[in-house]
Amino acid sequence: MEKRLAEFEAAGVRPVAISVDAPDVSRNLANKSGYTFPILSDPDATVIRRYHILHTAGAPDEHDIARPAEFLVDSSKIVRWCNFTEDIRVRARADEMLAAAQQLR
Amino acid sequence: MPNAGEFRNNVATWWGLLFAIVALGCNGVFFLNLPFQGAVAWLSLLFAIVALTLLATGLRLAIVYPKIYRRRALTVLVTTIAIIPAGLSVLGFVATRKLPSATAAPQVGQKVPDFTLADTSGKPVSLDQLLSASSAVSPGEPSFESRAPKAVLLIFYRGYW
Repeated sequence: MEKRLAEFEAAGVRPVAISVDAPDVSRNLANKSGYTFPILSDPDATVIRRYHILHTAGAPDEHDIARPAEFLVDSSKIVRWCNFTEDIRVRARADEMLAAAQQLR
Repeated sequence: MPNAGEFRNNVATWWGLLFAIVALGCNGVFFLNLPFQGAVAWLSLLFAIVALTLLATGLRLAIVYPKIYRRRALTVLVTTIAIIPAGLSVLGFVATRKLPSATAAPQVGQKVPDFTLADTSGKPVSLDQLLSASSAVSPGEPSFESRAPKAVLLIFYRGYW
């Protein structure tokens, strides 16, 4: 993702990551992995619930987390592309997200 | 029906072991994030089922025809070892697909709900801010300083642990 960031920016798309992790956990992740895109924290899964992608007790410690989901949202807040994997091993690929981003006009 | 007095190697068991290892090895592919990874999940399950079928066949032969398929102890040992990767592959397939459906989630053409969430420095960031020209959203993010992005790509992930 980070490696393709320049391509997303060229397509005019700002990637934003969201999870239930606390800000300091995400900061560690960003520092460790060198991520520069925004990572937002939804510790109570309020927004995750609002998007109807809650995975109840999905974490190994039975915490509520987000099921993996990606939404390409335009300036009118309309979904232009989305992806919901059926298998957590099958993660969204930067390639397919970039292809969707580049199709925007 | 094998002839009496004939000796055979229990080939099924060894093939079972091989398929079981390949089934588990398929999981390594996911780390590469390749285009055909969706098919690999099913392939891993298929290999595991083939492995279990072969192992059952081998075990049955060793029990029913002990005089032809000798070295029964070895067959049992290999079967026991091979069941672990084959079983893990089947369990893994089931466990990683235990995901709630996303049918109620916003779909293409639908509007997404607004939100305001804390970034890594604890500063609140709204969807409106993300969609407008702002450089301060993320410290290392240089673009979209003067021009608003066409879109944001919201990536919900399971978290980091």
